[in-house]
Order: sequence, then structure tokens, then C-alpha cells
Amino acid sequence: MEQNYQQQPMLTPPKNWLVESILVTIFCCLPFGIVGIIYASQVSSKFAAGDHQGALNASRDAAKWTKIGFWVGLSVLILYIIAVFAFGLTAFWANEGKFNDYR
Amino acid sequence: MKGSSMITDNKRKVLITTTAVILASLLYFFVDARVASVFPKCPLYTITGLLCPGCGSQRAVSALLHLDIPAAFRYNILLVASLPMLGYSAYAAVLNNFTGRRISQRLFHSVWFIRLLALVVLLFFIMRNIPAYPFTLLAPHQH
Repeated sequence: MEQNYQQQPMLTPPKNWLVESILVTIFCCLPFGIVGIIYASQVSSKFAAGDHQGALNASRDAAKWTKIGFWVGLSVLILYIIAVFAFGLTAFWANEGKFNDYR
Repeated sequence: MKGSSMITDNKRKVLITTTAVILASLLYFFVDARVASVFPKCPLYTITGLLCPGCGSQRAVSALLHLDIPAAFRYNILLVASLPMLGYSAYAAVLNNFTGRRISQRLFHSVWFIRLLALVVLLFFIMRNIPAYPFTLLAPHQH
């Protein structure tokens, strides 16, 4: 695959993951998305300069950091909701009967 | 996966994304992040006390879904400001994958546009952490 890319000049720039890294920046609450945006700018600047291999490498790095941000963000969300649910149930069972006045 | 065509994979991605957005919208509409505590706080904020560029976005989404636009601006102005860009991207994804038309989205490959965007995000990150007026306006606001 890599040899193909090097032999044939690319007509369109590789995926730069810009929108995805913006989404991760806004919704995953972690700085990984910013790394993705920086690599997105490298994809486009290196492609414009004719460095197609460099653009491909930057594209891979942009994908990597965007995906790390996405999965870490999603894991935190899911773990947190599980924890809240588990603690909520535990607290409810521990205090069973004490809530009768409030029902 | 290798056997299926690119277009089918992209169509599937668009459909999965659409479903996720609808489900998340329902969640953040009916469980209002402005008052509910079931949603996680930003992990970076919990660990370091720093407000990242995404802090306040869950509350901003709930505010937007309840059509409280001014509140959405106060929670996370970056989220509201990026909506046109995200909308354009979604529009292009649907058009490119489900109709014969193609949008090249040249703007998203413009080096200067991306650099400007990176600068705005970094400045937003720094400025909303400065504990002095008027920078405090950029921090997620309570009512």
C-alpha cells in the first residue's frame, strides 16, 4: 500500500480528520482533540507542499489522536454512568426503609 | 469489511452517526445536564482543575435542545460557534453518500482555515482559565 502511494502521486489530500478532532475537542473534554487539529493542519500543509508521504503520516497521526480522544471520552462517560448507577443502588439498598417518609 | 464497497461503509457510518446524535439528543433533552448530576464532569477538570475547550458542552447541548440559546453561549461559546461548520460537514456527508452530488469541502483542507481554527481553540483554552473579567465570561456559567 505504501509503495503504491509513493509511486502514484495523489490527486486529493488524505483524510485530515479535522471535523472529527473538533468534535473530540468539544465533546470529549480532553486535550487530545487539539493534537488532532494540529496534525490536520500538517496533512493539508504537507500535501500542498507536495510531500505526499508526510501528509499520509500526518493523516495517520491525526486519526490516532482523534480516536484515542474519542474512546477515552466515551469510556469515561460509560464508566461514570455505571458508577453513578451502582452507587445509587447501593445507597438506596443501604438506606432501605429510611426513604418511606419521602415517598 | 474488505469485501464491501467504500460507499456502503460510508453510508453505514452516516447512519450510525445519525442514530447516535438522535439518541444523545433525546438523552440530553429529557435528562437536563444543567441540573442533572448523572453526567460525568470533565476528567481533565476533575484531575487538574483546568477548564478545557469542551467544558460546559453537555450543559450547552441541553440548553440548546431547550432552545435557551443565550445559556448555550454562556456554557460553551465554542460549541455554538462550531455548529455551522458541523452542520455543513453533516450536510456534505449526507449529500456525498446518498445523492449523486458531491461537495469537496475544500474549506476543511485549507491550511489557513485549519491554523486559524487551532489558534482559536488554543486561545479559548487559555483565556477561559484566566480568573479575571472579561475572560471569566468564557468559563461555563451558572444561571
